[in-house]
Amino acid sequence: MLLQAIDIAKHFGREEILRSASLELPQGEMLSILGRSGSGKTTLLKILAGLESADSGRVFLEGRDISGQPPHRRNIVYLYQEPLLFPHLNAFENVAFGLRLRRLPEGEIFQKVNRLLESLGLPEHAAKMPHQLSGGQRQRVAFGRALAVQPKVLLLDEPFGALDTETRASMQQLLKQIAGSFHITGLFVTHDLKEAILMGSRIGLMQEGRLKVYEDKQAFIADAATGVRQEIDFWSGL
Amino acid sequence: MFIALAVLPLLLGLGYAMAYSLGLVGLLSEGFTLAHWEEVLGSAFFWRTMAFSAWVSVVTTVLAVGVALGFVAAWPRVFLRGSLSLFIYFPLAIPAIVMAFIVFQMLSAGGLVSRLAYQLGLISGLEQFPGLVNDYWGIGIIAAHFLMAAPFFIIFFANLYENEQVEEFVQLARTLGAGARQAALRVAAPLLLRRAFPTIVLYGLFVMGAYEAPLLLGRQSNQMVSVLAIQKLQRFNLGDIPQAYVACIAYSAIVLSLAVWLLGRNGEERLKYQGSGGRGKKV
Repeated sequence: MLLQAIDIAKHFGREEILRSASLELPQGEMLSILGRSGSGKTTLLKILAGLESADSGRVFLEGRDISGQPPHRRNIVYLYQEPLLFPHLNAFENVAFGLRLRRLPEGEIFQKVNRLLESLGLPEHAAKMPHQLSGGQRQRVAFGRALAVQPKVLLLDEPFGALDTETRASMQQLLKQIAGSFHITGLFVTHDLKEAILMGSRIGLMQEGRLKVYEDKQAFIADAATGVRQEIDFWSGL
Repeated sequence: MFIALAVLPLLLGLGYAMAYSLGLVGLLSEGFTLAHWEEVLGSAFFWRTMAFSAWVSVVTTVLAVGVALGFVAAWPRVFLRGSLSLFIYFPLAIPAIVMAFIVFQMLSAGGLVSRLAYQLGLISGLEQFPGLVNDYWGIGIIAAHFLMAAPFFIIFFANLYENEQVEEFVQLARTLGAGARQAALRVAAPLLLRRAFPTIVLYGLFVMGAYEAPLLLGRQSNQMVSVLAIQKLQRFNLGDIPQAYVACIAYSAIVLSLAVWLLGRNGEERLKYQGSGGRGKKV
């Protein structure tokens, strides 16, 4: 098992955000987590990334307990809803950011970044500053920046939430494509039912701090709590 | 309304100063002349004064910004919540002249630091204490302005840190492999400095034109421009008044040029930040 979270609990003041949340993520799997705003999805991702500490519970990566490790030693990249490209760096330097931190030789950085930009359809935008890119292009650069460091796990926190419907659909396709070609293991958090089904090879449901991960998509659809049946009934009844 | 209340009085004042400096008005006016301008702009003392003012301004601003950035990058939340968030405002409430007195009491040869050094055996007599006020390099003036500027920039950067998503950028950098120090230097500092750049320069200009601290803590040979102008205005020799206006106009021209450049730059920076995918686009 690549990533394992066991009985993660978290309070903010008196508010209970996570209640004994557990999950297992095998290599190469994309697990969608569906949940409403405030259900604890982001807190769970931040705990896995090391950006928040859990009150209790453990996180294991490749069998090693990483619960106490700082975020920069975990090799787990967390992507926000917004691309958050560093505004003082151009597209090339944004993608190269993590590689420069690792002090790779200049030639290697040049090759890796250009290869990534090409696979993301952005070779002609390398020299552009973030404000010169469209919303979709920025999100691609953000993916490139994350993929450049070859993370063991990619945590995606509603990455397409700020995009328009059309761009969102094309970005979903792009992510599926690069997830396959780069063998990405990831957690994809969303509040959109359709997106959760589309992006995940398995799906989990987060409700009031509790996480239920389903065996497969059929089990997810069959559970009344997920709202899939209601959705199907709604569209069938039109 | 804005033009009537803010721009018009400024233009009238500058117009009057220009007319005075050209000999068109004033008690000893003898008609149009460039003599006062030639005298001031041709004087090494005036340019030394401008250079000294710029030195004090740059050193003060760089020190205050550096210290404030360090504090905010290390403890971003401390200055926005809790008791320290109230305490940090106190220095801002102290008038410049009072701060100058405090620095004088601390750093003069007979001041607290000197007496402490004597008691600790670091110096054997008060005359051995280095001149830190009324000194050649303006250390006393810089110290007084630093004590006022550092809290201002700490508050300013702490608010920027919270409102401009710097925390999210830093967290993202951490997951990409940046240690806390690397994230502060490569992400937080550049972001804060870019957003704060116009304010930093405007504060520098304010220090450059400050009067109270240089009056008490400066000296005659290396003067700051405001002290030079006031002394020329208030001298018994009425013939010096046009030169005071020349100094004021020359200083104002520099400040206005920088302000116009900054306004343009600020607009570009805002546009760039809005395009980074940050929350700034809603500004």
